[in-house]
Amino acid sequence: MTAAQVPLSAWLLFAAPIAALLLGFFVFRPLKPEWTHLPILLSCAVVTGASLALTARVLAGGSFDLNLYRWAAAGRWAIDFGLRVDGPGTAVLSMVAVVGSLIHVYAASYMKGDPGFSRFFLVFHLFFLAMIGLLTANNFVQLYLFWELVGVASYLLVGFWFHKESARKAALKAFLTNRVGDFGFLLALLLILTSFKVGHFQLVYFLVRNSTTMPEFLPLIGVLLIWAACAKSAQFPLYFWLPDAMEGPTPTSALMHAATMVTAGVFLLIRAWPLIAAVPALPPLVAAIGAFTAVFAAVLAATKKDLKRILAYSTVSHLGLMMLALGLGQVAVAVLHLIIHGFFKAALFLCAGNVGHAIHQPTANVDDVGGWGPSMRMTQACFVLAALSLAGIWPFGGFFSKDAILDAALARGGAFALAGALVSVLSAFYIFRMMFLTFHGARPEQKGLGAHPHEAGPEFVAPIVLLSLGAALAGLLKSRVETLVVLGWQQVPFVVPIIGGQLRILRADLPGVSVLPEFSATVFAIGTGLAALGAGAAYYATMMDASWDWRWRASSPRLSNVFESDFGWKIVVDRLVAGVAGFARFVGQVFDKAWWDGAIEGAGTAAGGAGGILSGFSRGRLNDALWWMTAGTALLLAARGLR
Amino acid sequence: MSAAIWAITAFLFSAGLAAVVLRRQLLAMLLGVELMIAGVNVALVHYAGRYADAEALAAVAVVIAVAAAEAVVGLSLILKVLRSGRGLDAGDLAELRG
Repeated sequence: MTAAQVPLSAWLLFAAPIAALLLGFFVFRPLKPEWTHLPILLSCAVVTGASLALTARVLAGGSFDLNLYRWAAAGRWAIDFGLRVDGPGTAVLSMVAVVGSLIHVYAASYMKGDPGFSRFFLVFHLFFLAMIGLLTANNFVQLYLFWELVGVASYLLVGFWFHKESARKAALKAFLTNRVGDFGFLLALLLILTSFKVGHFQLVYFLVRNSTTMPEFLPLIGVLLIWAACAKSAQFPLYFWLPDAMEGPTPTSALMHAATMVTAGVFLLIRAWPLIAAVPALPPLVAAIGAFTAVFAAVLAATKKDLKRILAYSTVSHLGLMMLALGLGQVAVAVLHLIIHGFFKAALFLCAGNVGHAIHQPTANVDDVGGWGPSMRMTQACFVLAALSLAGIWPFGGFFSKDAILDAALARGGAFALAGALVSVLSAFYIFRMMFLTFHGARPEQKGLGAHPHEAGPEFVAPIVLLSLGAALAGLLKSRVETLVVLGWQQVPFVVPIIGGQLRILRADLPGVSVLPEFSATVFAIGTGLAALGAGAAYYATMMDASWDWRWRASSPRLSNVFESDFGWKIVVDRLVAGVAGFARFVGQVFDKAWWDGAIEGAGTAAGGAGGILSGFSRGRLNDALWWMTAGTALLLAARGLR
Repeated sequence: MSAAIWAITAFLFSAGLAAVVLRRQLLAMLLGVELMIAGVNVALVHYAGRYADAEALAAVAVVIAVAAAEAVVGLSLILKVLRSGRGLDAGDLAELRG
């Protein structure tokens, strides 16, 4: 395959967003900033069409992987830019395109009238473009570049309302935490280049598969990649930036949580899975991190009061489930859950956006709402659909992926089974708690209808309706995703221009890619029972014993503090950050100012002082000068005589 | 023979150097310079005769010419300093004091 044979849709994937960004920045932003979204929405439509076309192509067996441009080369090393259109890539890409485009449409009405409307849309679309690049990269270096671009765009969006101090802080927190993870990725990247001499996925897969001895750094590479994914995908211990990233506008949260940001970490692990699976100890590590995070965040989500914060912890928990699925070797399940999660989480966030919009605030607290169902029928209906999907109730989308994860976890048994069961109960509990608290009741502690909520206009509702329908129906994609991941991944012909001339086609059989687990009635019963248990508990705690949420908070402030500080982990992180900040202050103020500057200034002072002393010898007398001349000449002659 | 010549040269050169370094009177210092040149010339002439070297004699001639020029320049400088009203004492000419 040559560059000329690359289908038009693959080119459009990049051409449309870049053209829209250039047009938006150079033409609309200076002339008509309130129209900046027009080329960008058009680009979204093009990208959606192109990515669906590419997915159809891959399903028909047309995966390809191609180097397009040699960016840098030195000796036997080279860094290429290429295009990899394969199963997992297009599966995630089509979800990102569809969900991202709907969020763009929502953002066009949500952000209308904001003074930074034009800036918002440009950065928002850059975020989208970065994710497209990340999903179609064909080597680790390219993936890393787009990975960083995603980080930058998220920083700009979280800190979008930079006049608010909390937004600036949250943006910095998100960026710096991601830097901590990115550093792991960078080290892993350098180790990959050192050990394998190439960064192309397909070549690395091939080398891992066919080398008789395992490269000595492989376990370290795996651990570093997992570390990077933990930061990007908000896994314990680096999850804490994600709930704070709520400070950005709601469409940003929806895009970050559903499509573009946090899925990048999971996607990195999917891309690197043949490497990680080659080290027997690493998949259980991934599963353990995922299981722990899933339970940990689900418990916290059940105790938070801010609506967007509940959803943020829920995202952390669901990303944990994806990691758990990956760790159990279920790559296709992880991709499926990633896709379905994208739909229902985007819908839930936009519903939360509508709720906040009703009281003209970026976010709402459970105290501000209550009994809003009758005034926001459409939002409520969408929320219910998405919540049923999240809770994993048959036949809604989330059921299919969560059932498969639960199946895998139960099959593995032990702590993983327990974690899977706990998450099933807890996720149903927190999402139904949020639903009941928002749309039902109006408890005495809540403002309820006193806040005069009103349904947002159709332009706010339409994208959510589509998203929640997607969330409800995404289960239909199950077999397609399986085909994409299992076959679309393995059948990638990769043409390698080996330095020296000849071309070789490599096919790598991939380890650790298994088909979805068979449907099992027992797991179905267990999963549904657990979800029903969670939903029932939520009903009891919010409707029958309506003030329970406020009562336990008031009666045991210590417990409330424990949950508020994420079981103390936030305090540990704050201490760590304070330690690092203290060290930085020491370097900046004590070391740099007092010691280093002191040494430099001291050198100047010493030179001045020495000059002062020596100038005493220079009285300006002719005779003195002649004396020194004579003495110097005598010395020179003496030295010559001695030689 | 050579020893006597060396003694004369050394005496003239040292006396000239002492005058240059120790005296402050500008004319005396200039005189010292002339003495040093004369001392060196004595030695040069002696050795030119001894080794029958015309080049050395030529060098002597050049040195005499340069010394004359130097005397002219030196004297005119001294005259300039005198006219500027700052006397002839080198100790008073200390504009370059550090």
